[in-house]
Amino acid sequence: MTSEKPTMIEFKDVHKYYGDYHALRGITATIRAGEFFSLLGPSGCGKTTLLRTIAGFEGISSGVVLVDGKDMVDVPANQRPTNMVFQSYAIFPHLTVEENVGFGLRKDKRSKTEKAAAVAEALAMVGLAGYGKRAAHALSGGQRQRVALARALILKPKVLLLDEPLSALDKKMRENMQMELIKLQRQVGITFVLVTHDQEEALVMSDRIAVMFDGQIAQLADPETLYRLPKTRAVANFIGTMNFLPGKVVSTAGGKAEVEAVGFGRFQMDEEKQVTGDPSPEGATLGFRPETLTLLFEGQQAPGREAMATVEEVVYYGDMTYYDVRIDGAPAPSRLSMRNVFGRPVLDIGTRTRVGWSPGAMVMFR
Amino acid sequence: MKLSGLRVYAFAFLIFLYAPILLLPLFAFNDSTVVAFPLKGFTTQWFQNVWNDSDLWQAVRNSLLVAVSASVIATVFGIFAARASTRYAFPGKGPVMGLIMLPMVLPDMIMAMALLVVLLAMNVQLSLLTVIMGHVLICTPFAVAILSSAFQSLDKSLEEAAYDLGEGPISTFYLVILPLVTPGIISALLISFTISLDEFVVSNFLGSKDKLLSVYIFGQLRFPKSVPTIMALGAVLVALSVALLALAEFFRRRGIAKTGLKDTGGFL
Repeated sequence: MTSEKPTMIEFKDVHKYYGDYHALRGITATIRAGEFFSLLGPSGCGKTTLLRTIAGFEGISSGVVLVDGKDMVDVPANQRPTNMVFQSYAIFPHLTVEENVGFGLRKDKRSKTEKAAAVAEALAMVGLAGYGKRAAHALSGGQRQRVALARALILKPKVLLLDEPLSALDKKMRENMQMELIKLQRQVGITFVLVTHDQEEALVMSDRIAVMFDGQIAQLADPETLYRLPKTRAVANFIGTMNFLPGKVVSTAGGKAEVEAVGFGRFQMDEEKQVTGDPSPEGATLGFRPETLTLLFEGQQAPGREAMATVEEVVYYGDMTYYDVRIDGAPAPSRLSMRNVFGRPVLDIGTRTRVGWSPGAMVMFR
Repeated sequence: MKLSGLRVYAFAFLIFLYAPILLLPLFAFNDSTVVAFPLKGFTTQWFQNVWNDSDLWQAVRNSLLVAVSASVIATVFGIFAARASTRYAFPGKGPVMGLIMLPMVLPDMIMAMALLVVLLAMNVQLSLLTVIMGHVLICTPFAVAILSSAFQSLDKSLEEAAYDLGEGPISTFYLVILPLVTPGIISALLISFTISLDEFVVSNFLGSKDKLLSVYIFGQLRFPKSVPTIMALGAVLVALSVALLALAEFFRRRGIAKTGLKDTGGFL
């Protein structure tokens, strides 16, 4: 669906050194026009550094960064077609809200009234109509965030860069702002590049996500692919919860892989999609998400296959119950989640139960 | 209220500190050339003497000229040094900053003598200019200390935000950085001004016939007859100092209120 969109940002083998420290290790990626793109990773993975190379606050040691087809190597930050929302929001405390929002229009040739109208429009867009005369330092965290957004968007940049913009807000506020940002992005159609360490936030908001570890992109994909078919154990671990059990690839033929795992027996996988990663010295690992396992109650039939297991731990969450179940023969328990629909019992620790699973919902890390 | 030992000590300390200053205006209005109790009567004679003393006015003019020049130059130097030390990393930064701050703890006497020897060796005529040079040396560390904390509390992303919104380094400096450190600049100016005004050692060593106020006052104290006049002058200076400090504190608090920063206590 998004594949026909033109390229907005392109990284070609980008490296960045701070002295001896290799912060970016050969980043090659493409961000498409109009896309909501996220750089996701733990702190220190280089995601903020990469964002700052787009903004022009950070030079690169080698490689190329192209924005809208133009090499950015000699373009200073104040001439790039990008604007940024800073983690601290960087609202100028000595100015009013409208002076903040209109800050970037200083060199604009338009008349005063036209500029004032643009400022009012930008404020209305972020839901702050009528706040123009207020002192910036008197705003709440959420309001500062909106002012920062209006201030960046008023310049109609080709790319809006967001450096962990929601990390300073409380949970409720953060969830509201996530939805608002998505709507705003659809409304203005500008390419958004978001840096975040919150996997949930990235999944909720993005069209595509680049997961970064140690200065490299571990996987670049849409949220669903990232969640369902992670390429490495690290990605699988970072995004959501994944169970790992030892397994092995018995044989491969015709795009199908014959795999085997304790408790699950032998089954077939799509080799190209489900079998992934470089061979590891510890041997292959079978991975599956908690919601792909189902407790089977009396009389219920598994849509896929089934195994026997023992409940070892029960955690009740209201809407969900999380179980740790040990598949017979498995060396470690697996996390399983069940929605608490009406009438469904919550099992006790020690209960023997049948567990339904499906070969298509599993991945094998070589 | 319990009268504990520490409380008594605190009161005694404050009395020792401020009682002599409170005596200044008292004797300034006393109708006697002898500075002693009991008081003889009320007079404004000494203030008239101050008003009519042309040598004194010349000294005041000299002092103001030196203090304004020294405080402006020291503050400008302070802005450069504070900006460099808080924003940039450069080789030898530690030693360089240490050497800039050294005059704060170095005895004035040593600096005054060293400067005098060098100036004489270079055949430089002593004048108000040489005094200004000395005062700049003394005031700069104070300006750097005050301005460093002002620059330190500045969020680096404010500067980046200004670049991001299309401004260059120079316009960013006067549109964003300068307004936010203005309270610090005013504090640095006022502190440097006060230090320069009552500085004696360097003023005396490097001064020429053009006497500064501090040097003039010291000279006058040798004549018992003019002591009450000096008392009157002292009373005026106390009043002016209090006004100046109040002004400095006012600007500092207004700066904090304006930028919404947390009040971490002033230099007062």
